[in-house]
Amino acid sequence: MSAWLDSQFARLAVLPTTVLMLLVFGLPLLFSLYLSFQGWSPDQALFGGRFTGTDNYQDLLTDPAFVGSLGITFGYTAVTVATELAAGLGLALLLNIDLPWINLFRTALIIPMMITPVVAAFCWKLLLDPDHGIVDYLIGSHIIWLGRPDTALVSVAVVNLWQNAPYVAVLLLAGLRSLPSEPVEAAAIDGASRLQVFWHITLPLLRPYIVVALLLRTIFEFRAFDNIYVMTSGGPADATMVLSMFTYLASFVRFDLSLGAAASWMMLLMSMALCVLFIAVIRRREAL
Amino acid sequence: MTAPSRVGSRRSRLVFAGSVYAALIALTVVFLFPLVWIIGLSLKTRLEIFAMPPVLVWWPTFENYAAVLSSGDFLAAFWNSLVVASGAVLLSMCVGVPAAYAIARFPFRGRSLLFFGLLAMRMLPPIAVLVPMYILFSKLGLTTTRLSVVLAYTTFSLPLVVWIMRGFFEDLPRELEESAWVDGASRAAAFTYVVLPLIRPGLVAVCILSLQLAWNDFLFAAVLTNNATRTLPVLMAAFSGGDTGVDWGGMTASGVLVILPVVIFSFAAQRHLVAGLSSGAVKG
Repeated sequence: MSAWLDSQFARLAVLPTTVLMLLVFGLPLLFSLYLSFQGWSPDQALFGGRFTGTDNYQDLLTDPAFVGSLGITFGYTAVTVATELAAGLGLALLLNIDLPWINLFRTALIIPMMITPVVAAFCWKLLLDPDHGIVDYLIGSHIIWLGRPDTALVSVAVVNLWQNAPYVAVLLLAGLRSLPSEPVEAAAIDGASRLQVFWHITLPLLRPYIVVALLLRTIFEFRAFDNIYVMTSGGPADATMVLSMFTYLASFVRFDLSLGAAASWMMLLMSMALCVLFIAVIRRREAL
Repeated sequence: MTAPSRVGSRRSRLVFAGSVYAALIALTVVFLFPLVWIIGLSLKTRLEIFAMPPVLVWWPTFENYAAVLSSGDFLAAFWNSLVVASGAVLLSMCVGVPAAYAIARFPFRGRSLLFFGLLAMRMLPPIAVLVPMYILFSKLGLTTTRLSVVLAYTTFSLPLVVWIMRGFFEDLPRELEESAWVDGASRAAAFTYVVLPLIRPGLVAVCILSLQLAWNDFLFAAVLTNNATRTLPVLMAAFSGGDTGVDWGGMTASGVLVILPVVIFSFAAQRHLVAGLSSGAVKG
């Protein structure tokens, strides 16, 4: 008995994880794939829907709101990730300089990333309030930041930058601390300027960390929901309607769950493409 | 690697240090001002909150905190948050830690498949899992229960636990449990009595990191709870539905009370923050 237990130890140890994974992840995803080819309403039995082929997908691709949200999601993801990386890299480089009190700044500057996203978004909603908010007071204007289609998405993106640039900074700072110091010292002795050291030595060495930060942020921005839900709920006039928001509204406000399932599967396929890229990059890094 | 502080003359080094400090102070002001302002609002009376120009010097009042803490809504949501977050972490730890150990130590069939599944779980958008999960849970009569939220949270806490713990197990020298096996201990006994006590710091770190993720979640809880079982983020979002209203003091005080535990927790686990963020992509 105990010999059998020992020989099966690994299998028994992963069994609960496998079961839980199938229950909360595998099974639901298979069901939603099935559902996405059905016409189904919540009052019907689980498998009581009607097969409708690719109707749900066709409906989505001909719905201007969905097509618009594709563009908004990709644009929002690209812009937020690019600005977070740029700002995060700048922060990391500053925080990497060994000066007295630097640890104080290292601690202070990562606080925004620790805050519950819903609360952060909510606080910014108050700060950006056109009547009583401090932002409009400080710049002496009366801009309804979150209520105008032309400023809403930018405002949400800036709040997001405030919260997540520190996230990138933490990752890249860890990278900077782990790099070897010899190449920089050698370059300094050879009379290289700070800019040259950064451009020709630090940046290439840091590249693997930048790639990881880039892919992680892309995956997380692609699913953006909390901050947008609180600040604009996808509005005004669909200006901040990202894919998660669209899927949420379709599924849980209009209760068109089979359409929601189709929208989720389109999101899944797109993020799977990102994941494949992610794994490929890590594999290549490990091979190097 | 540290920045090239030995580049340049003494004078240029001083100028460099000065400008670095100036930049750091400016950035700290930019990044922390919003938070400081919100904390300030939470310590003002309603008249002071809406005064124009803003009141900069005032005698802080704790009436907003007293009001929030004496309201049943906040305390109920706090309790729900605590229950579902710790439930999810406990479940994920019990299930995930042995799996992480097996993945780190023993070759078995399907290991890479399991690994890939966990990666997918962590990386795919939660809304995509939530849509079918909501349907299945409602047919089982589980929606609006805290159990449904706990199960939903394992979709992110389980992969996190396995990813991070695998790293900790891999860093542990094999000889320790091998000598226990030689002495006649079973695999399970060696794991329980030799490996687990040694890995305690890792267990604490991963506990804190997944607790933080569960505490911060909004999407799952928003769909799977009702007014009786809602968590703090759901309560906060309900405040902001539509108009922001007039009770800014109560709202900001609630916000501060929601983020206080996570910020404290984060500082406790600061050393392990990077492992949590990258979830296995970068080794500690």
